Amino acid sequence: MLMIRAIVRPEKVDAVLEQLMSEGFPAVTKMNVSGRGKQRGIKIGDITYDELPKELLMMVIPDADKDLVLRIIMGAARTGDKGAYGDGKIFVSPVEEAYTVSSGIKETNAGIEEVSP
Amino acid sequence: MKEVMAVIRMNKINQTKKALVEADISSMHARDCLGRGKGLVDIQLLKGAEQGYEEAISLLGNSQRLIPKRMISIVVPDRLTAKTVSTIIAANRTGKSGDGKIFVMPVLDAVRVRTGEEGDEALDEA
Repeated sequence: MLMIRAIVRPEKVDAVLEQLMSEGFPAVTKMNVSGRGKQRGIKIGDITYDELPKELLMMVIPDADKDLVLRIIMGAARTGDKGAYGDGKIFVSPVEEAYTVSSGIKETNAGIEEVSP
Repeated sequence: MKEVMAVIRMNKINQTKKALVEADISSMHARDCLGRGKGLVDIQLLKGAEQGYEEAISLLGNSQRLIPKRMISIVVPDRLTAKTVSTIIAANRTGKSGDGKIFVMPVLDAVRVRTGEEGDEALDEA
């Protein structure tokens, strides 16, 4: 399993969530974050804004779905055809175990089993 | 060491904190988030919508909505992973969908800023 953490523009979140839902990835967690990138924020006149508001979308998916999910997010989160600075980043990291609290089901790369608390 | 990240119900956070302290896992990081899972799709509703009931169809749209949740993340030594997970499950389980998810991820290193200790020594539970 993989955890996908995508930092996207707040105004693009709805588009990304809708696209993910329609492609069969309903489960997402969203958080407000602020940050800066390689461009060191935005400079407007004399003022530099280096804590730009963004949204962090987090989801855990099977390894096989990685390319599809990345394509969905990139397609929906990009500004214009070529994209623009500030469209965001996507990070992928390994997840060893995932538990569903309500049923106690444990998912690992090896398979699914039930655990009792 | 492992990071245990759990997304749980807002109103369970106090019970979870208490349960974790009682299990000697005291350090944690919590924040607010919004989320949706697979559980919102109700089979009854889907069936109703298929048969064309207006009421069921109008309720289906709600599944897009994000629900306020609490996210907690705890970094623990490998041997405490199972205990942390079972404590969180025991404190949060109501049996209904929306109870939350727990993810276990590898962490390469940890450093305590105050002293500069590295690895397992930097963890409170070590």
